[in-house]
Amino acid sequence: MRLGLLFLGLLLLGPILSEYGLKLVSEALILGLYAMAFNLLFHQAGLLSFGQAAFFGVGAYAMALLVSRAGWPFLATLPVAVLASALVAFIIGFLSIRLTRIYFTMLTLAFAQLLYAVAHKWYAFTGGDNGITDLRPAGILGESLPFYYLTLLLFALGVGFLAALERSPFGYALRGLRDNRARAEAVGVDGFRHLLLAFVLSGALSGVAGFLQGALQRSVFPDYLFWTRSAEAIISTILGGSGVFLGPAVGAAAFLFLRVLVQANTEYWPFFLGLLLLVMVLFFPRGLAGVWENLAGWVARGVRRGAAGG
Amino acid sequence: MALLAVENVYKSFQGFLALAGVSLEVAEGSFHALVGPNGAGKTTLFNVITGRFPPDRGSVIFQGKPITGWPTHRVARLGLAISFQRAQPFASMKVREAVTLARLGYAGATFHLLRPLGAFTEALDAAREALAKVGLEDQADRRVSELPLGDLKRLDVAMALVAKPKLLLLDEPLAGLSRAERRRMVGFIRELLRREGVTLLFTEHDTEAVLELADRITVLHQGRVLVEGNPEEIRHDVQVRAAFLGGTA
Ligand SMILES: Nc1ncnc2c1ncn2[C@@H]1O[C@H](COP(=O)(O)OP(=O)(O)OP(=O)(O)O)[C@@H](O)[C@H]1O
Ligand SMILES: [Mg+2]
Repeated sequence: MRLGLLFLGLLLLGPILSEYGLKLVSEALILGLYAMAFNLLFHQAGLLSFGQAAFFGVGAYAMALLVSRAGWPFLATLPVAVLASALVAFIIGFLSIRLTRIYFTMLTLAFAQLLYAVAHKWYAFTGGDNGITDLRPAGILGESLPFYYLTLLLFALGVGFLAALERSPFGYALRGLRDNRARAEAVGVDGFRHLLLAFVLSGALSGVAGFLQGALQRSVFPDYLFWTRSAEAIISTILGGSGVFLGPAVGAAAFLFLRVLVQANTEYWPFFLGLLLLVMVLFFPRGLAGVWENLAGWVARGVRRGAAGG
Repeated sequence: MALLAVENVYKSFQGFLALAGVSLEVAEGSFHALVGPNGAGKTTLFNVITGRFPPDRGSVIFQGKPITGWPTHRVARLGLAISFQRAQPFASMKVREAVTLARLGYAGATFHLLRPLGAFTEALDAAREALAKVGLEDQADRRVSELPLGDLKRLDVAMALVAKPKLLLLDEPLAGLSRAERRRMVGFIRELLRREGVTLLFTEHDTEAVLELADRITVLHQGRVLVEGNPEEIRHDVQVRAAFLGGTA
């Protein structure tokens, strides 16, 4: 219901946005989907993946390579981008999920950096740090408004899927594994297979985000696979709050708009970002979405008290 | 044939021998107590049976089938359910959700990605039934994190019962309960499980409760079986008084 309203609002927003506004909101939706995919692992399954850039980048490169080298139409590359990122997630997940905590996190980081190195050095295939450019989708999807609607559609499908997943037996099983893995396995939940599927789903959704981002930017570079991309998902999630369903998407929007704002005025964006994260972690551990919920709670209580007093 | 047979099981932790050749048979339909002082290896034996870690040597046979080294979730799905000594059910869920998830887990039915948990009516009914058995039906909508220890313990038992298990393992079901709660739990275990024909293997430090509930007792001490017998025999065994009863009886 609340999700439906959000999607409707974004739908109506389209025609009133400027060219620049469309691009910015599209990018926020893409980063939002990417951060939500990260949070499926982080919040529900209790896994801190520092290698999400691998799936984001593979989705982007699958699209870029097929469009530029094989002449595929942009949209036709979507299923391949999804499958490729899911497959890479399956392999990386299979090898890392058995490890515990910090080792899992380090291994996901290592695999992503490995893919980055490959994309960076393999000139003949990926173009190395020249990247793959000129990726404007043919036809109307090359225009900002239709592309915004495609982005919104995929965002809505992805977020709707994650919302359903959270309430499904699978979602509960992930939470059970996070809360108390030994207990979950003792009631018959196969920890490894559940976490692996969660990893693959998160990878596939990250791949969709990469696919869209490459088309939005009209180019794909090795930095799509670089660890700072993985960090963007984590930062968005901390900003927005991992414990609230839409928190990471809220955080992604806040992250982008703040970056635009700060970069327009100063050169100290990394400094501001660091300060902001510090404040969030220390004073608002539940993120912006948590702050919002608190405010809403106070207002509701205040109104009730006011009504009782009057 | 015994429902569960443990044969010559060894388990050591960093050189410390926690189980040193334990053998044990649990007859179908019996209430079998595993007693012994702190550190005797009771919980470790449960962990070996449920597959939490494999034994160094020896085997575990359930319904005539060797299950040694099986992963925990597969053992659970055979109908071998456990309630832990340290009850920490899923803290982020509501009571009803935790038990419903358990039901679906035993059935291997947690790979549904789109239907909400609330649509699995058979599992919800089973959860309600299991909660009623332990007297938690009116707490079904509470958050697990809000429950006092006694209720957590009963919830954890409900999460085992909801499997309709063939063999139920209870690791100190009375630990942390008040006197009244203990009486209630003992009464519940005796009547209900008897009626349903569940086989029970349990550990407990409460001597009175053990003698009241068990029809077979195995005494474990420093990873070895000291003696086994019916309550009458164990009560009069001098060795046991020293190790298990600590001379207080
Ligand atoms: N995972 C482990 N790692 C290292 N040592 C362990 C582990 N589990 C158990 N032990 C050791 O094995 C011995 C037996 O422990 P266990 O928990 O089985 O005893 P217990 O009979 O259940 O005792 P209690 O009555 O206190 O619950 C203890 O000395 C304990 O410290
Ligand atoms: Mg113990």
